[in-house]
Amino acid sequence: FNSTVENKIIFKWHYGGPPATESTAKPPPFKDHTFLHSGIGGAAAGKKNRTWKNLKQLLVLERALPWKLDDPNYYNIDAPPSLKPAKKYSDISGLPANYTDPQTKLRFTSPDEFSYIRLLPSDVVTGYLTLRKATCIVP
Amino acid sequence: MAAQDAPVCQIISFHDSKTSPDPFFELSPQCLNPTPAPIVIDNGSFQTRAGWATSAAELSSLLLQFRSVAARSRGAARSETQIGNDIPNLEPLRWLLKSQFDRNVVVNFEIQELIFDYIFTHLGINSEGSVKHPIVLTEAPCNPLHCRQMMSELLFECYSVPYVSYGVDGLYSFYHNNAQRKQQPPHTGIILSSGYHCSHILPVINSRLDAVNCKRVNVAGSQASSYLQRLLQLKYPGHLSSITLSRMEELLHEHSYTAVDYHEEMEKWRSPEFYEREVHRMQLSFSGKLPSGCVTAEERQERRAQQLRRLQEINARRREERLQQDQERLDRLLAVQELWEDGLLDQFHRSLVELNMDSAEELQSYIKKLQLAVEQGRQKLLHSDGVEGKTEGLEFEQPMDEGDGVALMDSDFFEDMLPQKSNMAQPSFNMAEYHQLFVGTERLRCPEILFQPSLIGEEQMGLMETLQYVLARYTPEQQEALVSNVFLTGGNIQYPGMKERIERELLAMRPFQSHFKVTMASRPALDAWYGARDWALEHPPGEALEGWISRQDYEEKGGEYLSEHCASNIFIPMKIAKPVPARSAEPSVTAQTSTGASAAITTVTSSLDASSASLSADVTMVTS
Repeated sequence: FNSTVENKIIFKWHYGGPPATESTAKPPPFKDHTFLHSGIGGAAAGKKNRTWKNLKQLLVLERALPWKLDDPNYYNIDAPPSLKPAKKYSDISGLPANYTDPQTKLRFTSPDEFSYIRLLPSDVVTGYLTLRKATCIVP
Repeated sequence: MAAQDAPVCQIISFHDSKTSPDPFFELSPQCLNPTPAPIVIDNGSFQTRAGWATSAAELSSLLLQFRSVAARSRGAARSETQIGNDIPNLEPLRWLLKSQFDRNVVVNFEIQELIFDYIFTHLGINSEGSVKHPIVLTEAPCNPLHCRQMMSELLFECYSVPYVSYGVDGLYSFYHNNAQRKQQPPHTGIILSSGYHCSHILPVINSRLDAVNCKRVNVAGSQASSYLQRLLQLKYPGHLSSITLSRMEELLHEHSYTAVDYHEEMEKWRSPEFYEREVHRMQLSFSGKLPSGCVTAEERQERRAQQLRRLQEINARRREERLQQDQERLDRLLAVQELWEDGLLDQFHRSLVELNMDSAEELQSYIKKLQLAVEQGRQKLLHSDGVEGKTEGLEFEQPMDEGDGVALMDSDFFEDMLPQKSNMAQPSFNMAEYHQLFVGTERLRCPEILFQPSLIGEEQMGLMETLQYVLARYTPEQQEALVSNVFLTGGNIQYPGMKERIERELLAMRPFQSHFKVTMASRPALDAWYGARDWALEHPPGEALEGWISRQDYEEKGGEYLSEHCASNIFIPMKIAKPVPARSAEPSVTAQTSTGASAAITTVTSSLDASSASLSADVTMVTS
């Protein structure tokens, strides 16, 4: 990613003004210094409760509000699970796969891939399965 | 038989471009007269883009464009956090990287505050106590109310902004491109917007978002990057640290493409000649470490001998222990037998029961077996360095060999594994090739997850299937109208071949010989900002106030209030409890929000109680 800004050259700017005084010493002038986020926990919580809620927790709160059946909210507009059966592709090369190795459960397209799979160390095998979210749930 | 014989052989190195710090712009007088000009911020989970909305020519494009991350070196104080382009290179190993986003929604407002500080400082704002300019900000489609409340609170209370407007980035981009193509309002169309964390299908009817039928697929740029990273790391376990996310992004931006027909394209990759031509070999810089399987032959033999010796020692020890145990057991049994011979039948029977045996014959046979075993053990101990050791060592050799050098025969992997195979003959091998990453079908597979999320195990529908699902909720006339203006926008849409792919899939799902039109945004990643700027210029805040939230609105109607406009979400009035701020010296603000919440502690249950209490008690938003 490149972050060049073409317009820099056209009109004037200067270095060395704000940054020298800025860094950690002086907070910027345009904000209210006594401002505290209300979402971060009250004074009573103090040091303990400084974490922000993550999206899952926010969605729980959001779902509890009195929405009507048709109202769009963040949770409603999630796309449903697919109705079409998933196509099978080889875990190694991505080509369409017709076969699955019964021992490692990896998919492959050709006998050469099969021999490659059988020689893989077990952490790589688990890695490929995790990519597909096909790791065994039973411990 | 190196692959470099072929004339067309693309060896490319990573750019690994570094960012340069942004300059500090000066506030030009056009931004202050006659009224303070709005600041337009496209707050994306990948990049933040900021600039002015004025008619001045030199300020008509983006001024700031930076990654939306805050980085702090581990162990440094919280105040030494760096933002955006101040960070020299974004390696997660060196820095603790945090973003204010969780998926496409802002949840961490401290980091958001830092980002606003960065933007305002670089734009040259130095007014005391407040930012005097209206702000146009993008938010997620169907942004959770709590997040909007927090954002409004940050803007109005910390920065004392006069007006704020929220909009959806895909809609701003649509608005901008329709104006550019001189299409008359009201606009109707369907937007496919794919960003960094999610992709959206946004149907727009008569210039207003039809939010009920919007859908979101949680697959986009970041999932593609991490998929590519895992694929390459599994294929090249020796180069784990060189396969970084920023390099993956470079691969995706510059070397990946979308197939018009995925199956057909994949079949092409089966042929070795096609593979040779099309694989991109990414050259990594030389690193001193050798792969584990490429050690010289003598070292391997030494290692093997060491392992043999260790194994032999372990075996010998085990055998001795077993021998001792057997010996003890034998002695015990012999003692019991003596009991029987001496005629102490009672004791004999008791000991038999202890030993879990039924009769004297069993005892005898067991004793015989044990005696044999003990003799064999003694003999083995005598021959411990002899034949037995060798056979056991050989048993262990085979798995070691298979684990070390991975021998492959598939044409796809021929070039990768060539160095390791040739190592069996002589120690030297092709160092350059060892340090190359062969990116072949991965160029094709990673953008494909947008259309088939099952590739990464997601159960959701892909983009086109969701589009079909959304279209099916409309009448045929509405479908015709929507499909005649399919608009593609967003950074993740920029793969070559994306437009053709979408056209082809649309052709497959629409009725025979029906009409549709697909257009892509002129600048898919940046058009959201330009659209927001156009909107701000055409709808200045003032008496009209359509689309703007003033300070008064915020105080009366609460932070979650949204003023709808042609590029915004739908607002459904709903009172949510405002968590009590830490300071108690602001009674005016707390009293004006939900009445039941003033004494509430910020826990989930109490906020739920408060919201239900306030809803039942007070529907109108009258301040006390």
